Amino acid sequence: MTAGTRTLVARLGVMALGVAIWFWPVPEGLTPPAWHLFAIFAATIASVIAGAFPILTASVLAVGISVLSGVLTPAKAYSGFANGTILLIVVAFLVARAIVKCGLGARLGHLVVKLFGRSTLGLGYSIFLLDAVIAPAFPSDTARSGVLYPLALSLAEGGGSRPDEATRKKMGAYLLFCSMATLSLSSALWLTAMAGNPLGAEIGKSMGFNISFGSWLLASLVPTLIAIAVLPLLIYKVFPPEVKATPGAPAAARKALAEMGPLSLHEKIVAATFVVMVLLWGLAGTLKLDLTAVAFLGLGVLLATGVLTLKDIGQQGDVLATFMWFAILYTLSGQLNALGFMGYLGQRLGGALGGLPWVAAYAILVVAYVLLHYLFVSQTAHVLALFGVFLGVGSQLGVPVPLLGFALLFSTSYMSTITPQASSANVLVVGSGYLTQGELYRLGTITTAFNILLLLLVGTPWLLFVAR
Amino acid sequence: MSRGASLRAAVLASVLGLLVLPARGEQPAGDGWRPFTATWTLSGQRSLLPTEGERPASIVHLTGTLTSTSGEGLGRGLFGEVIGFDDGRRLLAGRAVFTDEHGDRIFCVLEAESIGTGRKATATITGGTGRFAGLEGAFSFAWQYVVEDGSGEVSGRAVNLEGRTRRGPSARSGNGP
Repeated sequence: MTAGTRTLVARLGVMALGVAIWFWPVPEGLTPPAWHLFAIFAATIASVIAGAFPILTASVLAVGISVLSGVLTPAKAYSGFANGTILLIVVAFLVARAIVKCGLGARLGHLVVKLFGRSTLGLGYSIFLLDAVIAPAFPSDTARSGVLYPLALSLAEGGGSRPDEATRKKMGAYLLFCSMATLSLSSALWLTAMAGNPLGAEIGKSMGFNISFGSWLLASLVPTLIAIAVLPLLIYKVFPPEVKATPGAPAAARKALAEMGPLSLHEKIVAATFVVMVLLWGLAGTLKLDLTAVAFLGLGVLLATGVLTLKDIGQQGDVLATFMWFAILYTLSGQLNALGFMGYLGQRLGGALGGLPWVAAYAILVVAYVLLHYLFVSQTAHVLALFGVFLGVGSQLGVPVPLLGFALLFSTSYMSTITPQASSANVLVVGSGYLTQGELYRLGTITTAFNILLLLLVGTPWLLFVAR
Repeated sequence: MSRGASLRAAVLASVLGLLVLPARGEQPAGDGWRPFTATWTLSGQRSLLPTEGERPASIVHLTGTLTSTSGEGLGRGLFGEVIGFDDGRRLLAGRAVFTDEHGDRIFCVLEAESIGTGRKATATITGGTGRFAGLEGAFSFAWQYVVEDGSGEVSGRAVNLEGRTRRGPSARSGNGP
């Protein structure tokens, strides 16, 4: 079968899937708009997975069909384009471009290589460790991705790896995926590292499950630290970079740093702007600052000082594509939740588990909670829609509430790479051009499966020991 | 098809299977009342306005699925939508509408303490359309939790939702389906 025929078959297949779901009798408990939106959303995701359409094409077709078929009003369908988190991603893309353009990215890259650069694996570990350390100060993993992305990008470019077929796998694809996968662990390590964590803690409190900063850290410590120790190596094994050993790299980096001389004016401006942005992102919760406004202010400074020009902005076509597909999928998933689909699914699943021993119910609830993330485009939305439902169901089935509560909350982060759109924190890497959709799905599945297996096999006894 | 794609196809098939599982039947009592229990998971928006008291006034608009856990008084499950005004002390005015898979509706008036974790509410059914025409009844529930994400997005879950419904006299005399 030729590639063209395969694509045609895949397109016909996903169209048939969408039409079949659409015309299937609406299940009792759902409304026609919820069911029809599910048909559109399922066909959209299936078309990306099956390679029928690129994610942008599938998304724009989906939003067009949703509005023209009357499933969504235009106001609801386009609401994602004004969403603050999505705008934050767009602005973070442009700020990252400034860091690379002015040479600061290369300097940062050389500094990291000087310290950890004897191997690509060492660079991967350095990304995971840096993220684990800075995470408690960042209430948003999306903002944190805005810090890690320019670093990984600079390391990749410094290693001669660019988002083209010839060089992307030298080390760039590996490092960029590391900068995405690390967020799935750092967000689970600290209560304050992801916006959904405190919300989950608040929901848990209503069921007598009280979480503090310390109890969260103690509970997450063993499974998450083991994952941090193993995951960079696992990704390295299943998705090996072409350049592995770089014994001469630290010396070369030292030489390059010496040749670069002192910071240029533009580097100083970008460094100062970025440091202030990072500080304000870290203090956003305390000072009640909007993360996106901080990013806009930083971008404004970079434009006003001429570090970035309008021509630079005009050249970022990938940013527009990323903005469009993510805003659309975010909206469709959000509307699926608003129309009651997600809650309905959670309740139905819970109802089907009656009579099972609690250990089996626990494992099924955790795995089902993770797999349902195929329908979500936000971890926080997932927590709000399903965490309380699953915790309530598990509690009725006799699963210890602290065990299930922590397992579900950690899973919310552990599964953040399961699809490219699973978290807004993935989007910078997805839009970088270093990884194909197929690679992102494959690596995301492996990473998520590893994290969840580790949680179930190692985390469960640990949680039973420490969380009572 | 690769193993990963097969796994993802299996996930999609499981979701579909879960949605089309058959419902259990239950007969009404002799007086026509059909009791039910349910849970109701909701999310939506809350706009706040400060008051002289500790709690702000708010306008809420929430949507979500009511899923029956026993009885058939409201069918197997319905999509529910709530709009209300809370003056900071209690829900002064609230309306709810439930819609089934055919678009048939149940209309309710809500009375409640202020919307928040642990607070209680009651609903009186005031009418319906289609297969719910002439329906009467009431139910009560408590908020297991109500959380807000800081941007006005609210999520909550109502538990211990108990009530009963029956056909009103006009519907029982032959107007109902």
